[in-house]
Amino acid sequence: MQLSRGGSESSLQSEINITPLVDVVLVLLIIFMVVVPLLMQGYDIDIPRSSADPVAAQAAESPLILSIEPTACHILGPLAGEGIPADCRVSLADEKFPAAELPAHVAEILGGQPPEKRVLFLAAADGLNYEGVLRILDLAKSGVENLKVEFITTN
Amino acid sequence: MQASINITPLVDVVLVLLIIFMVMAPQMRKGPDVNLPNTAKPSDQGDERGRILVSIDEERVMWINDQPVASEHFGEALREAVGAEPNPRVVIRGDARLKFGEVRRVMEAIDQAGFRGVGLIAKRAGAKGE
Repeated sequence: MQLSRGGSESSLQSEINITPLVDVVLVLLIIFMVVVPLLMQGYDIDIPRSSADPVAAQAAESPLILSIEPTACHILGPLAGEGIPADCRVSLADEKFPAAELPAHVAEILGGQPPEKRVLFLAAADGLNYEGVLRILDLAKSGVENLKVEFITTN
Repeated sequence: MQASINITPLVDVVLVLLIIFMVMAPQMRKGPDVNLPNTAKPSDQGDERGRILVSIDEERVMWINDQPVASEHFGEALREAVGAEPNPRVVIRGDARLKFGEVRRVMEAIDQAGFRGVGLIAKRAGAKGE
């Protein structure tokens, strides 16, 4: 370290300028501090006031009901891997088809509707695996944008 | 007589803080460890602050934020957790191995406690996507 000081005009700086480093590190620190309460992802669900009023406004017209029965769709235990079993059949508006076709059917029925009328009522049997139900819900939601989902009970 | 401020200690401290935050980040989540369901395209639910986290773990124990709660006290515990928050938002972190009915009962309990709409938390299935 040769320090040339004392008023000489050719003062070469031998120290590394670490100010940019400090800037970057501080910014990283702030990013981490902000991200720590990690972001969550999931699905918005409505629960209609149980039993009392038969599901308000939209229901008065023609509710679109997606029902998942354990007899048609075997997702009782924990699921292995991703997706749902190929033989899983769901029924949408009284029509039965494999769950994989759900996005297309939902898009066909609700695609032309204004966003506020895109409501799907999901009736899933209690015995089904929670993850399986969420995956079917995910399929339904991938059919149209802004799909509102309400859970109803079948009985 | 150095005119510039010596910032080496500052850098030290900041680096240590950075490392602490990096290490702590995964452990700072609220609530118990829950094996969240994997789905293809969960939508954004914002961050955990300002949310009431209702977790249901594999043993069907319900948690509100960090506290395990007995089902008979669930409603009052939930209202207590909300406190005076003007616009509370309740999310359910349910274990992937639960039965749907167990989650449904919790949703109804939340509904009965006076909250409309919940978020069901999932996690995006890894790498494989459409």
